[in-house]
Amino acid sequence: MTTPTNIPSLEREDHILDQLKEKFGDAIKESRVSRRSRPEVTVAMEKMLEVSRFLRDELGFDRANGAGGADYLRDQKMEVIYHVSNLARKETRDIILSVKEIIPRSSPKVNSLVSIWPSVENFERETYEMYGITFDGHPHLEKLFLIDNWDGPPPLRKDVRIPTD
Amino acid sequence: MEKQPSPMTSVVSSEPSESGSQTLTISVGPQHSGSGHMRLIIEMDGDIIIRASPDPGYVHRGTEKIYELRNIIKNIPVIERPAIIDASNLNHAYIRAVEELQGIEAPPRAQYLRCLLNEMNRITSHLYWLSIFGVFLGHTTMFMWPLGDRELIVDLQEKLTGARITHSYIVPGGVRRDLPQGMKEEAIKRTQYLEKRLEEYDKIFFENPIFTARAKGVGKLSRDEAVKLGAVGPALRGSGVDYDVRKDEPYAAYPELDFNVCTRQEGDSYARSMARIDEIRESCKLIRQIVQKIPSGPFRRKAPIVVPRGESYSRVESARGECSVYLIGDGGDKPYRLRFITGSYRNMAIIAPVLIGGHMADMPTAWWSIDYWPVEADR
Repeated sequence: MTTPTNIPSLEREDHILDQLKEKFGDAIKESRVSRRSRPEVTVAMEKMLEVSRFLRDELGFDRANGAGGADYLRDQKMEVIYHVSNLARKETRDIILSVKEIIPRSSPKVNSLVSIWPSVENFERETYEMYGITFDGHPHLEKLFLIDNWDGPPPLRKDVRIPTD
Repeated sequence: MEKQPSPMTSVVSSEPSESGSQTLTISVGPQHSGSGHMRLIIEMDGDIIIRASPDPGYVHRGTEKIYELRNIIKNIPVIERPAIIDASNLNHAYIRAVEELQGIEAPPRAQYLRCLLNEMNRITSHLYWLSIFGVFLGHTTMFMWPLGDRELIVDLQEKLTGARITHSYIVPGGVRRDLPQGMKEEAIKRTQYLEKRLEEYDKIFFENPIFTARAKGVGKLSRDEAVKLGAVGPALRGSGVDYDVRKDEPYAAYPELDFNVCTRQEGDSYARSMARIDEIRESCKLIRQIVQKIPSGPFRRKAPIVVPRGESYSRVESARGECSVYLIGDGGDKPYRLRFITGSYRNMAIIAPVLIGGHMADMPTAWWSIDYWPVEADR
């Protein structure tokens, strides 16, 4: 993994993660910089709202580029992943911070972040219908793409198998 | 969307209030209105829109599930389907995510060829948008001209990739074919011709008082709202934000190319339209730079058909805005999870604020100026 873009120092990315660890301590369960401009952090789900507010207000992450889910059937867990970035400061626009929370598969329920980043509204709705993850505090937690009378299981879960030939 | 009219009865009046006023809820779509099937549920007071809810999903194909069932090469055509006229940009985001996990990088010549096709796609996508805009505004000439001129670039795409649309040209490790002979001269000639045509478009359409009266001040979106709701592409740049992934996180050959980010300050339908027209001009310049500066060397290197364990997030500036791929690999030949967020999907959030407060008669102008492509949003 030594493409030329990976060589420069990762100071900016490390600094973001350090600030988070300093402020929230144990609530930051995991943090790493996978490559340039791509820091990653896993946050305890009960602290997610607080961390997000800090990210937006103190560290300048004013924009959510996306949100989605992932199902790890083997480990009986699911993840909700937000990708956030900064639009106001031009020199840090390349950084996309991935903020994750791990949730038990048996009770997939997290706090909605629409109050922090309004742009995640549709992404959370899709994650709700595709993974069956409930977002507390979401203004319209309804189906987005699926047909209204869909009564099957959330289709993107790994135990939903599509027959292939 | 608490009170939706049933699809069979598309017009619903509310109960009269105490003062005797009534609102009317109508369903616009889901028939094909020029851009794929989708529905807008619009509530009006008189002819003023007071509520608008996009109802997407009519062309939802569950592609995020499909990606998990196919190996990374077979996924390329599926990735391209949501936006067939802008296929290479979507594919570029995906291939970059795959290559990042594989730890390989395409050779410089391939990076230039990728950008070449990306820019041609941007032009054809914007011209296609413009011709449908002509249809929406009842301007038959503006329907015919861009579609006709688009053929010039579509021909070039065919010359380069072998396919007019959905090229499946960008593959892990490079591109499928090298630059064909005579492409350079042809590309210069055709982009110069297109630039001349754009001047004629200005005369007949963009400076036409009938168009400006219908587009200026219509469908306003403030800078703050555009940022807050996550708008991207010309819809964001039309509100004065100079955000363009090609500049803000330069990829492929873009760091070596000279171009401007086209912004407009007004935030109305006219500004969003003109941001796109300016981009066509920039893309013409970019295409000429690419064919003149393209380095020699291989155009493809070997890449494994495997998605190594790990995660990657890549994004590109597609014709309709930032398109991102979040890829989780588990070491197999298929993605474990592929989150695919396109420009139109992001821009779905600004449909309501652009329409609300405007006249029903302005709805087609305001709505289409976003260039919301239902197929790209539903995926």
